[in-house]
Amino acid sequence: MDPAIRLADISKTFFRDNDRKNGDEPEGIPVLKSVTLDIARGEFVSLQGTSGSGKSTLLHIIGLLDRPTSGAYHLLGDDTAALDDDHLSDLRNKNLGFVFQSFYLIPYATALENVVLPGLYSRRPQAELTARARTLLEQVGLADRMHFKPARLSGGQQQRVAMARAMLNNPDIILADEPTGQLDSTTSGEIIKLFRQVHESGTTIVLVTHDEHVAAQAQRIVRIHDGRVVEDKPTGA
Amino acid sequence: MGFGALWAYRLRSFFVVLGVAFGIASLTLIVTAVDGANRKAVEMVEMFGPDAALLFGGDFRKRAVGTRVLTLSMDDARRIENSLPGVKLVVPMRMKPGQTVKLGSRNYQDVQVVGATGDYAGAWNWPLAEGRDISDDDVAHGAKVALLGGTVVRELFGEDSPVGQVVFIANIPFQVVGTLVTRGASGGGHADVDNRVIVPLSTLMQRFNLDRKYFRAIRVKFLDAEHMDAHVENMRSLVRHQHHLTPEQDDDFTILTADEILKFLSMFKGGLALFLGITATIAILVGGFVLANLFSLSVSERSEEIGLKKALGAHRSAIMVQFLVEACGLTLMGGVLGLFMGLGLGQFLSRLDILTIQFSWKAFFLALAGSQAVGLVFGLKPAKQAADLDPIRALRGEG
Ligand SMILES: Nc1ncnc2c1ncn2[C@@H]1O[C@H](COP(=O)(O)OP(=O)(O)OP(=O)(O)O)[C@@H](O)[C@H]1O
Ligand SMILES: [Mg+2]
Repeated sequence: MDPAIRLADISKTFFRDNDRKNGDEPEGIPVLKSVTLDIARGEFVSLQGTSGSGKSTLLHIIGLLDRPTSGAYHLLGDDTAALDDDHLSDLRNKNLGFVFQSFYLIPYATALENVVLPGLYSRRPQAELTARARTLLEQVGLADRMHFKPARLSGGQQQRVAMARAMLNNPDIILADEPTGQLDSTTSGEIIKLFRQVHESGTTIVLVTHDEHVAAQAQRIVRIHDGRVVEDKPTGA
Repeated sequence: MGFGALWAYRLRSFFVVLGVAFGIASLTLIVTAVDGANRKAVEMVEMFGPDAALLFGGDFRKRAVGTRVLTLSMDDARRIENSLPGVKLVVPMRMKPGQTVKLGSRNYQDVQVVGATGDYAGAWNWPLAEGRDISDDDVAHGAKVALLGGTVVRELFGEDSPVGQVVFIANIPFQVVGTLVTRGASGGGHADVDNRVIVPLSTLMQRFNLDRKYFRAIRVKFLDAEHMDAHVENMRSLVRHQHHLTPEQDDDFTILTADEILKFLSMFKGGLALFLGITATIAILVGGFVLANLFSLSVSERSEEIGLKKALGAHRSAIMVQFLVEACGLTLMGGVLGLFMGLGLGQFLSRLDILTIQFSWKAFFLALAGSQAVGLVFGLKPAKQAADLDPIRALRGEG
């Protein structure tokens, strides 16, 4: 079977807009340098590295939010270079789930409405979506907070809503960028427990983190330094 | 979730609604005013009669200061009746405005008293509501009988029948023999055509101290409406001859027909539509620009939401549709509000007798279509701007 994620010789260089305008030879900033990485289906991998090493950039490429400057990326067997924007949107919608450091919940919508959101772009019946969202909110322990708006939820609760949202469309892969970065250690532990539960149900997880304790919960740690993979080892977890 | 964002940004939404509402209000006003003017024109032609001409003393097209206005005599009227071909009826018009009509202890002031020859109803296409018309006999004897207009009946008698009762006009007793149907063409105020009392011409001239020789106007009704131009030309020659005018002299009278009233009204309508059209265009453009600017601001403020939605799988088109629907939702509210504002303002102007306003479905649909067009046209740029946002930058709040 194809791996969930196959990155072959991926590079990413950012160009400043000014360089191009001035007609100068664009002098890009290389952020990822020839990254090659396979992640199998059902794996739980954490990406580690110092600030500025390129973790988020790599995760954005994996999440189809950005395209590499060079190299090939196959997601679930599909060559992503060949796909147009609407195709990429559909893949993000059906096959990927995102969890971000700062939650990104819609402030004027309730927890339930936030969880339903990815379903609105997938043409599933509203009743089914609502039922699924309720089940997920119960699973993450927010059965009694479904109709609260984000402002009335704690950070940990907001991140649980975001996780429920990421799971709504039963994605193959969940991508998380510092999901515990804004949480204290107790709350952070609860969120990581949730990730493990999701992983046990068969979902592939790629989690970016600074935190050694959090990283240790994964099966495999990939360490990035200055845009290159410098270490790739199983944790034995 | 739906229109949650519109409520979350309600102050902004309010300004958009208001801006669009002003535009649509002006648009509504135009449509209803032009419709009203059309209806009024039809009404006036019906009232005036397509087969009639009004002959006024004095040339009020190029009226020099001090020209004589009282130039039409009883003799002119008689000559027109006897010598002009195709004439059916000639009615000299005399009136005395500002009279007080009394019933018992009740007073009603500022009534127009009009002198009539026999068959007033027939001559003016003005049916009776009750009772009988002024007869030739009444005119011959200078009888103290009167026909009351609708307003006078309502003010003095309410629901009761005035026929057979006695009213005092300028302290002279008149017996009411009939009433006219209410025409109510132009609301209240001075233009109220129903605020009148009809008495025999002879009685008016004897009792109300009027100039005995001259008339302000003569109404001439022809047998057929087809050759009005020829009739008017013939009448003009006849009256010029009667008044011994040499070819160099201007007319000392004016002939007015339904056609000319229509011409004047359509000029008035054109001016009105132009003026309100410019106002409406400016107001709608202002509303549109307010919309475009506030939505642009919204897009940058809500870049996080937009980035998130794209990350979660929204297509470009879904983001565009979302913003266009929000824009059109707001302009629809603006349109409905504007429609009511326009109709309300129209009512007010109607009351003041400045315009005649008539609600029409045309106005309703134009208001709705107009508001949606504003939403689509001015919402398009911000919606595109939103759809084009790069999800990563948007999520970082770098809209
Ligand atoms: N759009 C961009 N344009 C130019 N440079 C960028 C852009 N995005 C990221 N970079 C640069 O690329 C490098 C890697 O950034 P990235 O966000 O991937 O790091 P990171 O490993 O996630 O760091 P952190 O742990 O602080 O989140 C940084 O030096 C950053 O300044
Ligand atoms: Mg990062």
